[in-house]
Amino acid sequence: MKNFISVCSILALIIFCSCENETGRDKEGLIIYQENQISWVRNFEPLNPVSVCRWPTRGAIYEPLFIYNPIKTDWTPWLATDYKWQENNKRLIFTIRSGVKWSDGKPFSAHDVAYTFNLSKEFPALDTRNHWEYLKSVIAISDTEIEVNFKRIYVPGFESIAGTYIIPKHIWSNLKDPLKFNNPNPVGTGPFTEILRFNSQVWELGKNYNYWQPGKPHVEKLIFPTFSSNEQTTLALLSGNLDWAGAFIPAIDRIYVEKDPEHHHYWFRNTGHSTFLLTNTKDPVLSDVNVRKAISYAIDREQVVRVGMYDYTIPAHVTSLSGPMAKWHSPEIKNKENWTVFNLEKANNLLDNAGFEWNNKEERIKPGGSPLEFDIIVVSGWSDWVRSAQVITQNLKKVGIKAKVRTYDFGAWIARMQQGDFEMAIGWADKGATPYNFFKSMMFSGYVKPIGETADLNWHRFGLEEVDLLIKEFEQTSDEERIKNIISKLQHLFIENAPGIPLFSELSWAEYNSKYFTGFPNEQNPYGPLSPNEQPSFIFTLLNVKKR
Amino acid sequence: MNKSLIYIARRLSFYLIAAFAALTLNFIIPRLMPGDPASIIFARFKGKLNPEAINAMRQSFGLTNDPILIQYWSYLKGIFRGDLGTSIAYFPEPVSEIIGSGLLWTIFLAGLSLVIAFSIGTTLGIFIAWNRTGKLDTFLPPTLAFFGALPYFWLAMVFLYVFGFSMNWFPIGRAFGNQVSPGLNFAFLFSVLYHAILPAFTLIFVSIGGWMLSMRNTMISTLGADYITFANAKGIPSKLIMLRYAARNAILPNLTGFGMALGFVLSGALLTEMIFSYPGQGFLLLQAVQSQDFPLMQGIFMTITFAVLGANWLVDIAILFFDPRTRK
Repeated sequence: MKNFISVCSILALIIFCSCENETGRDKEGLIIYQENQISWVRNFEPLNPVSVCRWPTRGAIYEPLFIYNPIKTDWTPWLATDYKWQENNKRLIFTIRSGVKWSDGKPFSAHDVAYTFNLSKEFPALDTRNHWEYLKSVIAISDTEIEVNFKRIYVPGFESIAGTYIIPKHIWSNLKDPLKFNNPNPVGTGPFTEILRFNSQVWELGKNYNYWQPGKPHVEKLIFPTFSSNEQTTLALLSGNLDWAGAFIPAIDRIYVEKDPEHHHYWFRNTGHSTFLLTNTKDPVLSDVNVRKAISYAIDREQVVRVGMYDYTIPAHVTSLSGPMAKWHSPEIKNKENWTVFNLEKANNLLDNAGFEWNNKEERIKPGGSPLEFDIIVVSGWSDWVRSAQVITQNLKKVGIKAKVRTYDFGAWIARMQQGDFEMAIGWADKGATPYNFFKSMMFSGYVKPIGETADLNWHRFGLEEVDLLIKEFEQTSDEERIKNIISKLQHLFIENAPGIPLFSELSWAEYNSKYFTGFPNEQNPYGPLSPNEQPSFIFTLLNVKKR
Repeated sequence: MNKSLIYIARRLSFYLIAAFAALTLNFIIPRLMPGDPASIIFARFKGKLNPEAINAMRQSFGLTNDPILIQYWSYLKGIFRGDLGTSIAYFPEPVSEIIGSGLLWTIFLAGLSLVIAFSIGTTLGIFIAWNRTGKLDTFLPPTLAFFGALPYFWLAMVFLYVFGFSMNWFPIGRAFGNQVSPGLNFAFLFSVLYHAILPAFTLIFVSIGGWMLSMRNTMISTLGADYITFANAKGIPSKLIMLRYAARNAILPNLTGFGMALGFVLSGALLTEMIFSYPGQGFLLLQAVQSQDFPLMQGIFMTITFAVLGANWLVDIAILFFDPRTRK
């Protein structure tokens, strides 16, 4: 009996060891990590609300009319080759690319584009970009031209119209209920469209042989194994079982790059936007702009970046715009107050003048006698932000402000933010191709809701009439000089009013391992963003990566 | 025998009432959580999405403002029809399908590890209690208690790093290899077993000590009872005394514990799943909570509830078999 058991276990060992090669990687396919999933669900439906379809659906399978390249800050013609505004910006004409085919061989035309827009008119639940709030009609005037008519002039609508993913009319028009469609076998215009295999642990997306860009893509297929944590991702990158990822890795030089400097690379690109210390301007103390500026002066951003953010990023600019967005900076910015520098003296002066005196315990008190104290709320588990908030509390202590960090689960945190039930918080602001979205989210009074009501943007509840007028003017013009002028004025208003306190530049996490594939963008060759999280501009990388 | 049947039926009716109460709580608790799913999904995009999209999302998810009683009624109706609604985190997949994808893996990994840990732990407990002055008894309990006290997360990471990454003996994640296709073929089955070894081992390793210690302690106090001394005096073979007389009595508390643990298997081994990228219920539950996916949360809680109640009922029956006192 004993012999039998030992023979069995030796046999089992031999079999397992021989299985080991089976886990060896497939060198033909680019292995990608973007989604944190533990088992895959087969869904390739690009229209329905967020976070349900598999990552390549929007960009690699279905493509938009134009793709914004956040590095070059321009719009690359994609399924459309050109556009022009007509009739005082009440009409937009797109020239649609000819010679494009769907992956099933059927021709693509302007009728597919018009169909895509009109489908979301018929089914408002699919109108996630809220097009029909300002659109009147979308008509295909020929096979290569569509005409977009506006109900009201809304030039920033271009961004969202040009970014809409175009679907094939000949597939969708046969559906009974497009709302419950999960599109298991996609037909798209993109570079990767063929589902080669799909199971709960791994799936593969093959190249589209009908792709309209000749010779592209270079890679035969993309492979998506499941990854459930950053640790798994890091180990897979290190062992060569993952080629391209968009994960946050702490101390990346030591953990990742040093192990193989020739192949292990990362590029944590500055997106040009900032992470904020948001201040609830409905709070009786924080409603005072000088208090907000004092808090900003008291923050040692260098220290925040070093301790909180592993020195990956840089302290924020006073307009919050940096990197690729710095091209919008107003020419008069040098003459404006810069309250994002670390200056304890100025912070103390501002607080003294605002009437907050020191008590005997090295704390400042409000005129009523109660101590000057705030809670900073942060999402629990977002450790970089939690650490940053802790540094800020130490900074604020030096000017006599008692701040405490409180962490909440994401759901609870967002509910507090939206209802204005917070004093200070670490958070983000809206972003887009121009700083318009950012300034609108920071200072547009149309977004301001009373405390207790849910506000989807402008959680800090700051509105300014002058801004409303500028926003309105911006929405009606397509003239580049005027746009620049308005953005400059908005910056001046932002600096004067400090509706929020920019902390440091936001980065976009991205790593690659060039052992099996090359041609990734990086700082030396920045043809596009590296991060797969940047949808849909990750497509530039997918089209340029080659097998070594 | 009749008395046993009455006992079983009585227990069953108790479990039915408990199940109903649990279903009601299951309906209420997720609704007490702050935030609504559409806003949360929107916020996860950190400003990269139009705020106006939220309305479209709400429509799509079919979130209603019906009175709570009507929602409760349709919830109960759905459960009896086996329809658990549509998931939000995995829209538009039905909840039952999503749960189905994780359930088998959880039962396989966590269930198997539990059974192995329970059997080995209990058997070891019997033996070291019987030879309670032996070397094993001085060595095993403190060692296993020490490993059981280590944080599981850390221990599993060390195992993953040492045996998976550095030594390359085992795969570092997932339930089966990338090259095999699921189905009844040897390559797949071997791949599944091979991938399960490391996560299962960590689970067994940390839990075995608990089973062993509790078995050992009850066993030792049972061995001090008069009837054991009497059995010894009568000259009954010692193996028989150990197993039929002492262990049969001493196993009862462990058996109850096993029933509880069996039920909780279905809640998944979240940390194991996270560290080893292993599919299962725990990670699903985490995602459901993070994205305020009420239907999925309710579905998972429901399977857990039924599993806990069902397992306890089975344990009641098993105890009926082991312990004649319950039959009187």
